[in-house]
Amino acid sequence: MRLAPYLFAGPAVVLYVVFMLIPVLYAIWLSLRAYRLQAGGTFGRRVEVFVGLENYIGVLSDPELLASFGRLAIYGLIAVPLTLGLALLFALLLDVPAVRAKRFSRTAIFIPYAVPGVVAALMWGFMYLPSTSPFSYLTEQAGWGPIPFLTGSGLFGSLANIAIWGGVGFNMIIIYTSLRGIPDELYEAARLDGANELQIALRVKVPLVGPAILLTTVFALIGTLQLYGEPMTLKPMTNDISQTWAPLMTIYRDAFLTDNLPAAAASSTILALGTVALSLLILGIVNRKRFGARS
Amino acid sequence: MTATSVRVPLSAERRAAKPRAWGAILPTVILVIGAIYCLIPVIWVFIASTKSRGELFTTFSFAPGTGLFSNLADLFSYGGGQFGMWAANSVLYAGVGGVISTLVSAAAGYALAKFDFRGRDLIFYSILAGVLIPGITLAVPQYLLLSQFGLAGGPLSVLLPSIISPFGIYLSRVFAASAIPQEILEAGRIDGASEWRIFRLIVLPIMLPGMVTVFLLQFVGIWNNFLLPFVMLSNQGDYPLTVGLYTLLAKGSGAPALYSLAIIGAAVSIIPLICLVLFLQRFWRLDLISGGLKG
Amino acid sequence: MRSRLLATGATLVLIGAGLTACSSSSGSGSDGPVTLDFWGWGVGYEDVIKEWNDANPDIQVKHTDAGGGDESSAKLLTASRAGNAPDLALVEFTTLPAMIVADVPLDITDYVGDIEDAFTSGTWDQTRFDGAVYGIPQDVGPMALTYREDRLAELGIPVPTTWEEFGAAARAVKEKDPNSVLTSLPASELGFYAGVAAQAGSQWWSIEDGVWTVGIADEASLEVADFFEGLVRDGAISTEPLLTPEYNAKLNEGTMLSWPAGIWAGGVFYGVAPDTAGKWAMSPLPQWTPGDTKVAYQGGSGMIVTKGSEHPEEAAEFAKWFNASEQGNKLLLDSRQVYPASSVGQEMAAESEPPALMPQQTDFYQTAADISSETIPVTWGPNVNLAKSVFEDQLNKAIADGTPWRDAFAATQKAVVDDMKKSGYEVAND
Repeated sequence: MRLAPYLFAGPAVVLYVVFMLIPVLYAIWLSLRAYRLQAGGTFGRRVEVFVGLENYIGVLSDPELLASFGRLAIYGLIAVPLTLGLALLFALLLDVPAVRAKRFSRTAIFIPYAVPGVVAALMWGFMYLPSTSPFSYLTEQAGWGPIPFLTGSGLFGSLANIAIWGGVGFNMIIIYTSLRGIPDELYEAARLDGANELQIALRVKVPLVGPAILLTTVFALIGTLQLYGEPMTLKPMTNDISQTWAPLMTIYRDAFLTDNLPAAAASSTILALGTVALSLLILGIVNRKRFGARS
Repeated sequence: MTATSVRVPLSAERRAAKPRAWGAILPTVILVIGAIYCLIPVIWVFIASTKSRGELFTTFSFAPGTGLFSNLADLFSYGGGQFGMWAANSVLYAGVGGVISTLVSAAAGYALAKFDFRGRDLIFYSILAGVLIPGITLAVPQYLLLSQFGLAGGPLSVLLPSIISPFGIYLSRVFAASAIPQEILEAGRIDGASEWRIFRLIVLPIMLPGMVTVFLLQFVGIWNNFLLPFVMLSNQGDYPLTVGLYTLLAKGSGAPALYSLAIIGAAVSIIPLICLVLFLQRFWRLDLISGGLKG
Repeated sequence: MRSRLLATGATLVLIGAGLTACSSSSGSGSDGPVTLDFWGWGVGYEDVIKEWNDANPDIQVKHTDAGGGDESSAKLLTASRAGNAPDLALVEFTTLPAMIVADVPLDITDYVGDIEDAFTSGTWDQTRFDGAVYGIPQDVGPMALTYREDRLAELGIPVPTTWEEFGAAARAVKEKDPNSVLTSLPASELGFYAGVAAQAGSQWWSIEDGVWTVGIADEASLEVADFFEGLVRDGAISTEPLLTPEYNAKLNEGTMLSWPAGIWAGGVFYGVAPDTAGKWAMSPLPQWTPGDTKVAYQGGSGMIVTKGSEHPEEAAEFAKWFNASEQGNKLLLDSRQVYPASSVGQEMAAESEPPALMPQQTDFYQTAADISSETIPVTWGPNVNLAKSVFEDQLNKAIADGTPWRDAFAATQKAVVDDMKKSGYEVAND
């Protein structure tokens, strides 16, 4: 009995320590180091040396990092509410008794979750670029010219669209299944009071799926801070996405293009700490509100 | 195992649909529009995969081409049938990794939910914090560490790190907490059953619907993972589909990317995932995700 | 349920077995056939490997496509740091210096004495630094102009031989057919801008007595910047990204009329616009001074033997056969479909059929041989990837904001110099 929980949790803990904790600690250690030149060979050799907090100072004093968080904020303000709003809307609609083609819609909306990034990249290039886009084709036929999917502020919408497309189904299923966990009696009571379906949806259902919405919000925020796939997808097709557009793109550049793993490790540490702070902040606000409401 | 199974097919309609056509049309229309929005790019991949190289950039995006069979033949004969090998590897990594990951997560989730033991919260919150670490940061440290054990380069270097899934453990804990009544466990213990026997015969069957969800999420996650296998593997025969398709598109300066091969490869590689989603969605329970926050 | 758990148990046992098996299997014995791991991107390796392996039962080569371009160099660096590097790898000339300072390639000067004449001195300079040879050149991309012969003729525009004519041609295209554009030269093409700056006499990196000089913002380069800025500002050429579906559609439509790049450009175009074959031609790259003939290389790669290799001699032997022998060069041409770096390969190419995109241009390879007989030796620095990244971001910003390109070149120069100083290089620039 006393040993049992340790045995059950054991494999997970061992794997966690070996494949996540130690690599994370290793990354933190790396973030205190740098590759520096020493004599030898034709050009000298780069060897690892200890540099203390130099990488952190470098990362934090880089104005591009602040700018990239600004871009994330704009993107997040579009993508997060729309993803969750649409997910909630679809979930509520699926829960309307008389709606047809439910299984088709539910499956279709979920499918993008299963489409790999490599494929999504190819796909959206064709959807957005003026001469291959079927949408721009329509607007051009109508005499309005192509849609500026990939330039200026249109870019934020296009990026958010990819995220919404990929994420709305997953969030919809979370909210929908939690909707189906609500006992019918609650609706009956509301109906007896003369409420219509819309009123029931807004006044009964939405408050009851609050916890599910909170959870999806936290995950959506973490996803926003770790935004990477969508801008990387569109980068080869537009000059408006720089290599440092999002914080994770900078990390990728440092780790995989310019052979500066220590800087990537330092940025990652800062990003992870920021994410923890933001998550705690949101959960704190929500808990205080709840607590306040109860007292 | 069938006796205690609590499979509740999601598709089973809870309330009888009343024939109120007018109230159902608008919601149905909105849902179908959402479904089409999600399907358009997927439909495009399948249409594009029928196009020959010349047609790909010249014909209207949604006009089918004439090259389907030659594309398929090219795909399966590329590099002496490598595509089939990549597909088999993807099935192996995602299938075996998904199953082991699900079992490890279920055992850990059960221990964390149903036992009170020293270090429980520490283990749980440490593992949960793993959600905050982007894979980009982990890949290289994981590679360097696995190299120390002589494991980097082979299939195990992809399989082992894929097993640990903070999200899967979180889901399992939530599901175990809400689905397994304490009395059943107590009854089992009074009957003198060992903890292992209780887990095997009582707990696992109850957790099966939740485990299907964890399995699906892990399967899709491993199937679509690019960076880990790209960094880890050093033998083309071990590549999964994502890395294989990448090698078709990423060439050195001056070599043409094999666009049409990559597109038909992408189309073929989504099919198993769509089938899996269609098949498993009758069994899975995503409501367990939000269940934990209801308390 | 029981069977599944058993299966899991069995898997875990297998994993355990795998752990021990893996740790003991590394490093093959000294006798018996040697197996060499080789990483390289592109097509056609099956034929190459088969031919070699059939003829050399004692030295078996195993090829893996580890991805091309930028990410593969990170993979090679990481594998090398962990002691898992393959015996042989294909490396782009631009990243070779970065590999050398990270201690990846072996100095193979002693192994290649017998093939010294196989390459021109300018080609050797791509892999030879301060007298030490770190790789054997495989393919080169002497710069040329690949253009739509039919469209230029239709518009009555002569093929430009100088950059001034090129500018005039670009403006003429815009004037006569506003839907078409002569070319697109986006900020991602550091290789192009470095190449034309080299034509103008600039050296973006150079090293003498251990001291580096960075010339990205020297006077010649800044004048190059001014020239192309003028063309872009007037809308005469575009800076849209290359080889996107959009760009490919324009190639197919015949509204993207040329690409000044390595002579491999035609092969790339054939991959995305096969139906336009026969409408293209290749000519020497335009010059800054009329009558000049020298061009730089854009692209190209060489094969290195890694420091970690347990069989450097055998590895070098394969690399020599592949890149310097007649048999290997035939495979480079027919199977790998690249323009060989070696003189023997280029001679063979001169006699072969023109590339599929321009079957009518029977003197294609003769022209190519003429171009590559005189090339400007270009030294790449140890942080080309950083330069690429900064250059792309800065130049794109300048194009978007309408600020001078000179500033973008200067900002790149500063970032490159700062990075090199921080890493500990001696740099002559301020």
